[in-house]
Amino acid sequence: MVHALSEIRRVLIPSGILIDLRPMLDRWEVEVASARETNVTGRVNDFEIGVADDTAANRSMAEAESNGWFIREREEFFSYVYSWDTPHEMEEWINEEWNDFIELDEEATHATRSAWALSDGDARAQLRMKMLIARWRKGE
Amino acid sequence: MTLQKDIEGNEKKYLHEFADFKGKRVLEIGCGEGRLTWQYANASSLTIGLDSDHDALRVASIDSPHDRKHKIHFACAEAEYLPFSKETFDIAVLAWSL
Repeated sequence: MVHALSEIRRVLIPSGILIDLRPMLDRWEVEVASARETNVTGRVNDFEIGVADDTAANRSMAEAESNGWFIREREEFFSYVYSWDTPHEMEEWINEEWNDFIELDEEATHATRSAWALSDGDARAQLRMKMLIARWRKGE
Repeated sequence: MTLQKDIEGNEKKYLHEFADFKGKRVLEIGCGEGRLTWQYANASSLTIGLDSDHDALRVASIDSPHDRKHKIHFACAEAEYLPFSKETFDIAVLAWSL
């Protein structure tokens, strides 16, 4: 990762900008949302390997900063929502696409299924991810 | 399956708050199928999207609007070895890839 940041620095003009945009594990909230209301039904569990990836990425940026390659100008977090028609589709996605770094436990699974079954007809199952966005300026 | 991503539109909003892409030369690392690319590439003067996934890049190229093909390009490369001269880009975007 640090070598990649060195390469990015090389191809940027003086005072060029690097945008670091990525999800960060934080036991993302599971929701059932309809036009009328949104209910949080639980949180996913983070696996250690995913948390370690986030830590490694943060360390790489910190190293690039301490080397003087980039200067942090601004950083914020925002929500990025994945939304499925049904809880089953959400469970399938998590099990097939994200099974390396998060899981939906039994309690959250049942709570989400129940809330969805009892909710309005337009209700969807959602996952509210935590996103990091940071702007870095190329150092001298 | 009907999956909708970023239903609140926050990603595009924050991306444009954090960088002014107008007339800029942009390198996007980890562009995948170009989902994020289309959020800003219209404003840039040149956009190069890189990814190591050939299949995703194929989708990105197919989805590329015909009238923008002259200024949006996709290529297979790793961030560790960027096939460009120094000081080529105004903005680099690490798209879900650090």
